[in-house]
Amino acid sequence: MPYVSSLPPEHIHPALWRASQLARGQGGYLSSGYAELNNELPGNGWPQGQLTEILLPQIGTAELSLLKPALSQLDGRPIVLLTPTYIPQALAFACTGLQPSQLIWIRCNKHVDALWAVEQVLRNSSCGALLFWTSSIRSEALRRLHLAAQSSETLFFLMRDMRAAQQASPAPLRLSVQATQYGLELNILKRRGSPRDAPLALHVPDHPYLYAYAHPGKEKLATNYGNLPSTVDSRAPAFTPA
Amino acid sequence: MVTCPPLWIAVHLPLLQLEVFVTPLFARQEMQVSVTLHQGRVTSMSESADQAGIRLGMRAGGVQMLSANADYYQRDHNKEKLALQAVATALLQYSPQVCFAEDDCILVDISASLSLFGGIRALRKRVQESMRILGYTATTGIAPVARAAWLLAKQASRKLPRGQHVFKLNRLSQRLDRLPVKLLTAAEPLTELLQGIACYNLRDLRQLPRPGLQRRCGKALLIELDQAYGEQAEVHEWYLAAPEFKVKMELPDRIEQAESLLIFARSLLAQLLGWLAAQQLAVTHIHMELLHERGRQAIPPTMFDLHLAQACWQESHLLSLFKEKLSQLKLHSAVIGMLLEVKQTIVREAQSYTLFPEPGGQENEHKRLLELLVARLGEDNVLQPAPHADHRADIANHWISVIKKPPPPCPAHALAGYALRPNWLLPQPLALDIHEHRPYYGSELKLVSPAERIESGWWNEQIQTRDYYIAVDRRHVRYWIYRERANDPDSEEPVWFLHGIFG
Repeated sequence: MPYVSSLPPEHIHPALWRASQLARGQGGYLSSGYAELNNELPGNGWPQGQLTEILLPQIGTAELSLLKPALSQLDGRPIVLLTPTYIPQALAFACTGLQPSQLIWIRCNKHVDALWAVEQVLRNSSCGALLFWTSSIRSEALRRLHLAAQSSETLFFLMRDMRAAQQASPAPLRLSVQATQYGLELNILKRRGSPRDAPLALHVPDHPYLYAYAHPGKEKLATNYGNLPSTVDSRAPAFTPA
Repeated sequence: MVTCPPLWIAVHLPLLQLEVFVTPLFARQEMQVSVTLHQGRVTSMSESADQAGIRLGMRAGGVQMLSANADYYQRDHNKEKLALQAVATALLQYSPQVCFAEDDCILVDISASLSLFGGIRALRKRVQESMRILGYTATTGIAPVARAAWLLAKQASRKLPRGQHVFKLNRLSQRLDRLPVKLLTAAEPLTELLQGIACYNLRDLRQLPRPGLQRRCGKALLIELDQAYGEQAEVHEWYLAAPEFKVKMELPDRIEQAESLLIFARSLLAQLLGWLAAQQLAVTHIHMELLHERGRQAIPPTMFDLHLAQACWQESHLLSLFKEKLSQLKLHSAVIGMLLEVKQTIVREAQSYTLFPEPGGQENEHKRLLELLVARLGEDNVLQPAPHADHRADIANHWISVIKKPPPPCPAHALAGYALRPNWLLPQPLALDIHEHRPYYGSELKLVSPAERIESGWWNEQIQTRDYYIAVDRRHVRYWIYRERANDPDSEEPVWFLHGIFG
């Protein structure tokens, strides 16, 4: 009798399931890294090969802490950052288990070039994830991107301003995210399944460096995170008003 | 080893004499009445000339009477030879065994290529598509004997370019019997004699007594006949591609839009593909020149180079690179010619066909994507990180183009020291307002970290003396701000700057 793995089959390959289980929707899903969020998402994770919209009150403020746990599971496949508002800092990405060499930063002078690049990246499907920041996008372009996404297995996130929440969108999953004191607050605007009205709070653990400063005397928690920059005096007051 | 039954495809270019001057790639020239003349007589003519009543062998004066504004071209054997070579080079894609035959024909032994290209019909379609891309009207014939395929291709009319095909040897003679006798080259000077003895098709010819026929018509006719029926073997001299690939093409007109050059670039590309297939090579560097006006007002040619990170021989990828490159190009004057040269090649690597393809596509696919992005967006806009070991954040965060060699990967422990850096940096630090002695950005900023002093760069002009803090605003967004220590806090100069945002 061969050894039968007790591992759930979906861990072996996303397209496998036992006959006793329910088949999930088409396409793969990647765990978001937050258990509370996984419970709320169809397929228990971020959909691969679909357009996912993330709406933000201010671009660049919350999307990466939401997405980084998922991005670190891509097994070294490339991550494309397309037209971000600011300069991405490779070392900050490296701290969360990504290799800097995974990142590709694409700048475009024209909006049409950016849309073209999205289609090329999705069609090629050699990249693990595509993050696209845009300030304004027409609905026919959105529909086209959604179609392009369906032909690939790439995680595709579109970052837009919160004001776009009122506009219709073909994306099957739309979230709005903002930072809170303890982490992130999500509103699921649209998903396949029953709607959810109440906001979802995600707890993002504080970096040990900040935690140690906010809670003096509990630095022990921080020791397993390696040595901190030597230039820092953790006892010094942060700011003394003149 | 399985030996394949022999099968030949013959490609006949009935209008080659004319098409070296007037290419059907240019639609507007098709309506023009045009003829080629050799020693004062018409040797080839366009379809509209045919409709105007012009016939082969007419004199130039006769053409003038039938169509006043006809175009005349003097037949150019040299050009025809070059064109045939170009076609043969392109056909090397489909088989390494290509040879020339009489009357502007090219024979290709495809018996070993059938399963690779998905059967005879798919292959014939591809051959015809290649001919269309090259800009020649072509008819094809397929038979198990080279000479028979050649006869069938010549027999195919202009209206029905997909000539007859015979796959089985035992059906061959039945099909050949009906062909007119004038198709044989050796029968051309004997047309009147053969007509006089009521010999119209090959069957009639075969029924004649051989010794008498040989005495009256020569041996060549009999040899040709026997070769067609597969009764006598034929020796072919295979076409060998030149060791280097450098092809110049003259355009039929002056072209000013870069996009319309693509039709002609495709024709060059088809030759390139055949050449690469024959040599079993993959290309890594292509050089292209667009030739402009020559002579007194000579303009230097526009040149561009395509460097491929991953050696390539696939049509689709090369074509999309050409497309992006040409659509980007701004022409300063009309183009009259094109030159394609292969500068660098490597031996082709055999592809491994895994049973279960990897879900992310192969690494080659990724390199192809990057090349395509670079071709349109420019190499400075597709970047990969190359971090420097430096304390200054804006210098440490260095990005280089993806086509450059990537830096060696950082060891994990080297990254651990930079535990807390913002995800985003501002291109230029933004001076912050001060409200009640505190930095202010949208709302009051609260500092949540101790100072991190960065003092570096004294060895060149870019000295930085800064105390970095992490600050939180009213909406819980974390910023990376610094206090410039060189600036006096009591003066008007800004002291606090915003440098980064934690995502």
